[in-house]
Amino acid sequence: MPRTLLGIESSCDDTAAAVVCDADDPENRILSSVVVGQNELHAGFGGVVPEIAARAHAEKLDVAVQQALDAAQTRLSALDGIAVTAGPGLIGGVLSGVMLAKGLSAGSGLPLIGVNHLAGHALTPRLTDNLPYPYLMLLVSGGHCQLLCVDGPTQFRRLGGTIDDAPGEAFDKTARLLALPQPGGPSVEDTARHGDETRFRFPRPLLDRPGCDMSFSGLKTALLRARDGCIAEHGGLRETDRADLCAGFQAAVRDVLAEKTSRAIAHYLESAPAAPWLAVAGGVAANQQIRAALESKAREQGLQFTAPPLRLCTDNAAMIAWAGLEKSATEAPDGLDLSARPRWPLDSTAAPMLGSGKKGAKA
Amino acid sequence: MTTSPTILGFDTSGPAVSCALMVSGAVSIARNEEMAKGQAERLLPLLEEVLAEAGVSWHALDAIAVGTGPGNFTGIRISVAAARGLALSLGVPAVGVSMLEALAFGTDAPVLSCLDARRDRLYLQRFHPTRARGPELVALSDTDDWALPDLTCIGPPAQALGRELGLPIAHPAFPPAEALVRVAATRWQTVQTPPAPLYMRAADAAPPADPPPVILPS
Repeated sequence: MPRTLLGIESSCDDTAAAVVCDADDPENRILSSVVVGQNELHAGFGGVVPEIAARAHAEKLDVAVQQALDAAQTRLSALDGIAVTAGPGLIGGVLSGVMLAKGLSAGSGLPLIGVNHLAGHALTPRLTDNLPYPYLMLLVSGGHCQLLCVDGPTQFRRLGGTIDDAPGEAFDKTARLLALPQPGGPSVEDTARHGDETRFRFPRPLLDRPGCDMSFSGLKTALLRARDGCIAEHGGLRETDRADLCAGFQAAVRDVLAEKTSRAIAHYLESAPAAPWLAVAGGVAANQQIRAALESKAREQGLQFTAPPLRLCTDNAAMIAWAGLEKSATEAPDGLDLSARPRWPLDSTAAPMLGSGKKGAKA
Repeated sequence: MTTSPTILGFDTSGPAVSCALMVSGAVSIARNEEMAKGQAERLLPLLEEVLAEAGVSWHALDAIAVGTGPGNFTGIRISVAAARGLALSLGVPAVGVSMLEALAFGTDAPVLSCLDARRDRLYLQRFHPTRARGPELVALSDTDDWALPDLTCIGPPAQALGRELGLPIAHPAFPPAEALVRVAATRWQTVQTPPAPLYMRAADAAPPADPPPVILPS
């Protein structure tokens, strides 16, 4: 008899609920997955506004849960537990999800399972493809960028990651600087198709240094300078210049991600995994050029490659339910005093890369 | 449908967790724990303690009552989200009650309810048979036109406001959590909409300072 969990996700700007079971066949696992985006709410602000996101989550989450239950043709009382993103993320949204989940758990008597949002992304290749542990994971999204060796449902070794911006954030900022619509990932990628990536040679930060850490904030500054140069010359930004800027920017991100992933592959192979895999997840993994470059590095170094379908690459609650299923197979459920955590590194042993202030490492 | 309902109510819109339990129409337990933070961790365990003490199970509840503010945005969301989760899992209505209404409840005379909104502002609401007004976010210097001859001022900043407007002040008829279950008892059978936070002001957010460039078609 498969176990079935409700999953709840609200750590950024997607309000999501899903019903997922641990059936043997991956095709039969996701019984429903509802994702309600908030793009239009944040459109005027050039990025996600935490308070606006939190307000939307607080009033949409229970509706999403009911939709997910209806779509799966089930009821809360027929489930085996409730998994909820308990961090890391924008705290107002995470808190809304955690409190909703506590209310659902108290009223239904179902166990409550607090899930790390990043573990949700990192375990998605097991939900979709039954990937064997250990596998190498590049998690690359609007808020995160990490190279992880996934050894078990709650065992992660971080091999490297960004020391400043996440690539998805850089795509969004690029779109804003170039008057392209948000979210920036798809609009920059589309525009880059008509551009010449060799015209602007943007920096590849940290490529000259050993290790798997990355940096993307300097790239944004370089893009701004090149853009201002074009504007000064022509009194505005010509569409051809814009396309070339997009292509040059995308190429720089691609090269950094490919090279650092290649180094992480070498690390990962030192432990001689029986069936070596590279998996990528996160919204940036939807970028065709970046995906192709990663796939080719994996093949060159003898790894199989997988990227979950886009709807499971970007934020969703099916991955949270799945991570809850894996976690609860070996760990006790959480109590109703579960905390929402803005910061929650997956690998508690690695040195913090980001926000190592008094609040602790972000990721 | 019973007219002597069993209702659990709670509020975290200020620096405390408060809750009250009405059993068959009578308030049996009310609790208030002051805390600057930690409401999210404490709320559900406190509710379970109160139910256990009264020997009432979650499934015996006819409704959930929840304070919707105004107050601390995060605090309001803590309670509203929990109330929505409880309502969904128990299949009972969740009744949102403004804490301005809770302050005025049980006082027969017309009431000017007030809560501190910080930064020299107040949340005000006038409960009056013919001249009701608000709720509104009002600067301390702009309260003059809220006064009416027969009003009584109720709320934490009532003393200062009453002096300013020349109005008598009174204590609320019931403590906040108890008041909100009593308000909910008057409308739990007819409530149509799920509880929503009463923010009273827009989120702090500004469009990006640097305008996008002018695009020249090529």
